[in-house]
This record gives sequence, C-alpha cells and structure tokens, in this order.
Amino acid sequence: MTIQGALTILMYALAPFLWLIVAGLGLLVTIQLIARVRGYRAFTYRCLGANLAALAVGLSGLWWIPAFTSSRLAYVATAFDWVALIGAVLGLAIAAWLVLHPLSYLLRGRQSQLLATKQKLP
Amino acid sequence: MSRHNFDPSRLDRRQFLRWSAGAGAAGLLYSSGLQARPLSTDARIVIIGGGASGMAMANRLSHQLDGARITLVEPREVHHYQPGWTLVASGVWKPEKTMQPNSRFIPTGVDWVRQPADSIDAVNRRVELGDGSWIDYDYLVVATGLQLNYHLIDGMSSDLVGSHGIGSVYASIEGATRTRDAIDAWIAQGSGKGIFTAAPTPVKCAGAPLKMTFTTLSRLEATGHRDDFQVEFMAPGLGLFSQPYINDFVKQRFDDQGVTRRHHYRLSAIDPQAREAEFTFVGPDSEFTSHHQLRESEFSREGERRVVTGYDFIHVVPPMSAPDFVKASDLIAQDGPFRGEWLDVDIHTLQHNRYPEVFGIGDVIGAPINKTAASVKAQAPVVEANLLAQIQGQPLLARHNGYTSCPMITGIGMAMLVEFGYDNNFDFLPSFPFIDPKDESWAAWVMKDRMLQPAYYAVLEGQA
Repeated sequence: MTIQGALTILMYALAPFLWLIVAGLGLLVTIQLIARVRGYRAFTYRCLGANLAALAVGLSGLWWIPAFTSSRLAYVATAFDWVALIGAVLGLAIAAWLVLHPLSYLLRGRQSQLLATKQKLP
Repeated sequence: MSRHNFDPSRLDRRQFLRWSAGAGAAGLLYSSGLQARPLSTDARIVIIGGGASGMAMANRLSHQLDGARITLVEPREVHHYQPGWTLVASGVWKPEKTMQPNSRFIPTGVDWVRQPADSIDAVNRRVELGDGSWIDYDYLVVATGLQLNYHLIDGMSSDLVGSHGIGSVYASIEGATRTRDAIDAWIAQGSGKGIFTAAPTPVKCAGAPLKMTFTTLSRLEATGHRDDFQVEFMAPGLGLFSQPYINDFVKQRFDDQGVTRRHHYRLSAIDPQAREAEFTFVGPDSEFTSHHQLRESEFSREGERRVVTGYDFIHVVPPMSAPDFVKASDLIAQDGPFRGEWLDVDIHTLQHNRYPEVFGIGDVIGAPINKTAASVKAQAPVVEANLLAQIQGQPLLARHNGYTSCPMITGIGMAMLVEFGYDNNFDFLPSFPFIDPKDESWAAWVMKDRMLQPAYYAVLEGQA
C-alpha cells in the first residue's frame, strides 16, 4: 500500500469524528493554556480527586469503547483485543487527566479566591 | 466527459480530506522519487461497470496512462458500499452510511457514459449501449458485477423482499433495509421458524448468508427467549464455506447455537401468501452439489424430491450469474466449470482466455472464489500491470493468487478476519500477523465496522 493510500484510509476513517477530535483537542489546549497562565504546573500541583476522576473516565472506556463499536466487553477475547482495548483505555485516562487536572487547579484557585474574599469581609 | 472541474471554494469536507491527504503524500512521493512515469498511448480503453472493480480500474489506468481515451460505462449515479449491507440488514448500520455519489470517485480525464451496456461484440471490439449507440475499443475491462436470478426460484422476485416474512440482503440497499424490518417483525412476533438459505451457484460475498444467520441468532439470543424460535439453514451442498477450517467452524457453531442444518436442499419455489417454501432435494451425487456446475437450464428437472415447509421468516439467497448481455456474448466461458455462466478469464493473469485485449475483474469472472471487494483490491493491480504489459506487447507477469477476505461476523460485536486464496486448498493468507484468522475477536469486528469502508474507498481511488 502506498503512503497516500494509508493516509486516505486514515482520513476516511477519522472524517466522521473530525469535529469531535477537534473539539476535544480545543478543550484540552484551552484549559491547559489558561491554567498555565495562572501558575499551574502539572507535576507540582497535587489533586487526588482529579487523578481518581481521570482513572474512572479511563476505566469507563472498558464499557463504552466496545459499545461505541456496537460490541461489548464480553467479546474482547484475544490477546490483541486486550492490548488494543487497554491501549485505548490508557489513552483515554491520560487525555482525561490532561483536562481534569488543570481544571481542578482552576476551580480550586477560584474557590481559594472566594474563601479569601469571604475571610476579608467584616 | 467527466465531472471534475476543480474549484477549491466548493470543496466539501471529504474532498478537502482527500486533497489534504493527496497533497501530503504527493509531497512525500515526489521527494522520495517514487512516482512512476505514465505510459504514453492513444489506446481506447472501455471499462464496463462502475462498481468497486470498474471504479478502481478507472482510477488506476487514469494514473498510469497518458493520452489514453478511457471510457467508463456506468448508468448509476450512486455508488453502494455493498459490504455494509449485512450490517444494515442486521440493524447495526443505517442505510445512508453505505451510499456515496459515483462522481466522487471518477477521476479527471475519464469519460463517464451514463448508460447501461447492452451487448458486447468481441470480434469487432465494440460495446453497444442502452440507447443503441456503439463504443469501439482497443482494450476492454469487463467489470460488470453479477446478476441476481431471483426468477429461478418460482414465485420469487426482489419486490417481495420485506413482505410476507421474506428477507434477502443481496437485493439492494432498500432490500437490505426491508430485510432488517422483516427480521424485526419476526422477533417482535415472539416465536416462530426462520429459514436461512444458500444458493446453488457461486455468489458474491459467500459469507453473507452465514453472517445473516449469525447476526439474527445474536438478536434472538438478546430477547432472552431463544428457545421460542426455530432456526434452520438449508444448504444446497455439503459445505457451507469454501475455506475448510471456517467451514467446519461454522457447522460446529450452528450446531452449538441450535441451528438445524439440512444439506443438499436448494430453494426452488416460494408461496409468499401461505408463507411456504419449497426445497428440492438435490442429493449428494447431484451436479447441484458442486455449485460451479449449476446452469440455469438445469433448474427444475423432472423427478426430483421436493419438500414444502412453512416459515415465519426466510432469508432468500438467489442464484447468481454473469449479466445476461455478458452471457450472450462470445466472452462467456465456452467449456469448463464456468461455461455459460461466467466470464472466461485466466484466473491468475485475469486476461480473457480467447480475446487477449479483454480483461476481467470482480464478481463477473469465472473463478473458484473471489466475489468480494477484498478480491478486487488484490485483482486491480494485476489487471493494471497486465493490461499495461499487453499494450506494450510484453509478457504478462503479474499474477493473482486468488486472495479474498471475509470478515466472518459470528455475532453482533465479534468476527473472524478470514483471508485466503486459491492455493493449498484455500489456505489462509493473513494480512496482519497479530490477528489469527481462526479466532473470533473484537478487533476483527472493529475492522469490519470501522476500517474496511475507508479501505474500500481507497481501493476505489486506486490507492490501495
């Protein structure tokens, strides 16, 4: 198969989900940028809730990724099936963490600001 | 003439993607010096049929030839992704997903004649069109596809699909949709007998009758009342599938899933009002059991044992052959297993056995297997290379190994990626070392559900 052929197959396969991919990437980049501007650093900021939520989103893929393909977890049978599904779950968890972790930083910062404002009030 | 006048401001999303992919890859190919130089010729090349094989050949030849006059004879405006019809009939896909305008795939410089072909005068090298006009050719690519012969089943016509409990995934996209509705109605009934048939001739996508049985079994099992439904599979021969391992596997699975198998029966008549089907017992020694031996004239012979049975749903697989105008031409096989029914080609070079300027590709050719879109993917580069060699007076070196592929759906959500060829008793030819053709898997299902349609469109564009 030619390089052009492989690219054509990939493009046709992704075309129906292009809007979703672009929207998801846009959300991720926007939240990361805003959080970084406000002092967020991924490896110094700690939030157990965001970590657990990202893990939960990733694990939820065990159900909905097969369902999205009109299948179900019970039919994930071969070693390659599991490698593919676990890879997808890991990717999903990482993507969710890249959104939820800075998002929690932004929300906490907002809460801290509100708390500080309240404490200053007489 | 062809439709494309490039206007960037009017690109839709799909066209944009194609141009983007093409531009990127063209840059890579240019930089790596991989581009082949087109062959200069003023040959007149006619391609009959704009299905998967005809469209793939139109794209490939237009890329490879400079100055040739390429004519594509295809009356239809809509291109159907037929491998998706089983998913439509099983309620997994919506029918719209399988349709695209033909104009999307026809390359610049190819003359698209929106007429059916009516006859082929092979001696004088010309093709008659539906309006009575003729096109002369120097080289001919026969890519007509095949003909569904519902009329060989007494009382049956494609119009009946979707009514009186009759389904047939092959009929058309509308037929596939109505088949889904007929299965829905049977399941909603809560009980009853379903009969799945196979044809006593070569058929396109030979796995489709089996897939329809498996997906329907999935749906029956999902009701929680599987035992209330009887399922029978009526096969004209002893085998259910060409590839021996898969044949044994399917038989075992049918037995495990409570499907009653009856062999050596072919559907000979149907009474829609009474919901009764007549099957003719063709016997283990009958010519019918070797499906490549069946001829239209051999249906309905005297003295055959017949069985009439009622049904609540029946899936009809019609006998198939080359289209009548191909059968009436001198291009049809004169002897051997495909005589009178299929195009006479060398199954390895795909060149006509008596007319060297004629090549065949796709469902219409007389070959032991190979009536699938996956076969077209393997055949198209062979026809391209050998046709170019023929134009240049060189020996035909490219050979087709009979590669075909059937994503054998064994239930809604799982499949086996079965790839095999002519050689070594239809031995497996797996494309992916990490997918075992003997295993049912989710990955094979995902390929069927998500990846094969993009790959099919790449084949149409001559890029895969």
